Amino acid sequence: MTLSQVAFVLRRVFGSLRDLFWTHFLTSGTMAMTLFVFGGFLLLQENLTRLFSGWSNQLQIFAYLEEGVKGSELQSIRKRLQSYPEVESIRYVSKKEAWENFRRDLGAQSSVLEGLEEGLLPSSLEITVKKPYRERSRVAELANRLKGEKGVGAVEYPEEWIEKLSMLLLAVQWAKWIFGGFLFMASLLIVGSTVKLAIMARQQEIEIMQLVGASQGMIKAPFVIEGMIQGMVGASFSILFLWLLLLVLSARLPSSLGIFLPTGRLHFLDLWHVVYLFSLGWMLGAAGTLFSLRRFLRT
Amino acid sequence: MIQLFRVSKVYPPNYLALTDIHLQVKKGEFVFLSGPSGAGKTTLLKLLFRAEEAAGGQIIVSGRNITRLKGAGLARLRQEIGLVFQDFKLIPYMTALENVALAAEVIGTSKRESKSKAFHLLRELGLKDKYDAFPPALSGGEQQRVAIARALVNDPTLVLADEPTGNLDPEMAEEIIRLFLRIHERQTTILIATHDTRLMKQFNQRVVLLQRGRIMEDSELVESENTS
Repeated sequence: MTLSQVAFVLRRVFGSLRDLFWTHFLTSGTMAMTLFVFGGFLLLQENLTRLFSGWSNQLQIFAYLEEGVKGSELQSIRKRLQSYPEVESIRYVSKKEAWENFRRDLGAQSSVLEGLEEGLLPSSLEITVKKPYRERSRVAELANRLKGEKGVGAVEYPEEWIEKLSMLLLAVQWAKWIFGGFLFMASLLIVGSTVKLAIMARQQEIEIMQLVGASQGMIKAPFVIEGMIQGMVGASFSILFLWLLLLVLSARLPSSLGIFLPTGRLHFLDLWHVVYLFSLGWMLGAAGTLFSLRRFLRT
Repeated sequence: MIQLFRVSKVYPPNYLALTDIHLQVKKGEFVFLSGPSGAGKTTLLKLLFRAEEAAGGQIIVSGRNITRLKGAGLARLRQEIGLVFQDFKLIPYMTALENVALAAEVIGTSKRESKSKAFHLLRELGLKDKYDAFPPALSGGEQQRVAIARALVNDPTLVLADEPTGNLDPEMAEEIIRLFLRIHERQTTILIATHDTRLMKQFNQRVVLLQRGRIMEDSELVESENTS
C-alpha cells in the first residue's frame, strides 16, 4: 500500500467516524461494558490472589499441648519442633494468655465467661511455617506429623479457609471466561451490525471502488481500522470505569480486610492487565469487523 | 485487445444468456455491441470486466486470460478498464470533481494529483463550471460526462460502456458518442453496448449484433467477406 493509499484509507476512517458518530459511540459503549465485566473479574481475581497470599504469609499452625506439659518437657518439644525444616518460628501461648486472647476476641460478649475458670483453655505453640512450605498439601502433612509428637494434643490450622478461598479464586477465573465469553460473542454481533450499517451507508462508494480496481485491502482496511478504534475506545472507558469502581470499593472496604492485603488497600490492575484489556478491545473490534465483512461485503 | 473463444454464460437455474461467443476486438478499435433487450449485451460486457464469470470458453483481455481471474489480478484488470453505465453510477453526496478523483485515489494516486487530473478531464469534457456540483443538480448528459471523465481518469486502454445514451435525449446521445470518438482518437479501444440503431448508422463503426445470446452478425466480417 502506498503512502497516498494510506492517507486515503485514513480519510475514509475519519469520515466514517464523523458521519456515523453515534453508531460508533454506542458500539464502543457496548464493548466498554463487555470489557468492564471482564476487567471486573480480572480485578477481583487480582485482589483475591493478593488476599490469599496475604493470608498465606500469616499462615500459622496451632499445636495444643497436653495438660501438664511445662518446664523441661516444654523446652524439649520446642527444640524438637524447631528442628523441623518447615518451621520458621515458634511462640508459646500460655493458658493465661490464651484466656486473655479469647476474652479480647469476644469483646462485648466477654461477660459470658464470668464465673469460668481461667485455666480452661490449653496452652499451645503457634508455629509459623516457612514460605516455601505454605502450600495446602505441605501444611496438612506437617500438621499430621505434629499430631504424632509426644506432648501435643490437637493440631489446628486454617485449612477450611484456605480451601474456600482457593475455590473462590477458581470460580472467579471460570466466571471471567464464561461471562466474558458470552459478552464477547454479543459484542462481536454488535460490532458486526455496526459494520453492516457502515457498509450499507457506503454501498455505492464500495461498488465504484470495486469497479475502478481498488484492491480488497483498500476497501476493507477502513472498516477494520474503525473496528479497532471502537475496541480501543471501549477498552479506555472500561479501564476508567474499573478505576472508578475501585475508588468506590476502597472507600467502603472494611478495615479488617485491609490487613490481609500486602499494601493494606485494594490493588488496581497492573500495566500488563491494562495492555491485555486494550489488546482484547482492538482484537474484538477487528474480529467483529472481519466477520461482518465476510458476510455482508459483496465482492 | 479482446478475444473470446466459445464463451458461454448460464444464469441459474438454466437460462442461457450467451452461447458459443467468438469475438476479436483489436487494439484501438471502436465497436458497437447491438441487439434487443435481453440479447446478452450487458452480460458480455460484465464478462469482460469480470463482474460475471463465464460458464465456458476463454476470455483474453490485453493478453491476459481473465476467465477465472480473482483478487489482486482482478483489481489490476479493472484499473486498465474505464466503465460507463446507463445509470451513471455517480455518488450523489460527492461533487463531480470528487466522483472523478475517487477513482484515481483508490488506486494510489495522491489526492492532489487525482483532483488535478479530474479537474482537467471535466474541463476537457465541457464541465469546467460544474466541477463542484453534486450529481442530482446536473442534467443527464452532464452526469454521463462526469461518468465518462471518471472512466478516463486512470488512462484506460479499454473503455466499456453499457447503454451510455439510454437515459439521454437524441441530441445528447449524439454528443456522448462524439465524445467516445474523441477518446478513440487516442488509440483507446471502445466497446459500446447499445440498441440505438440510429446512432450506429450515423456513426458508421463496426457493429456486432447479438440476439438471444448468440452473435448473429458482425459488420467487420461482412465487410471482409464482401471485399474478398
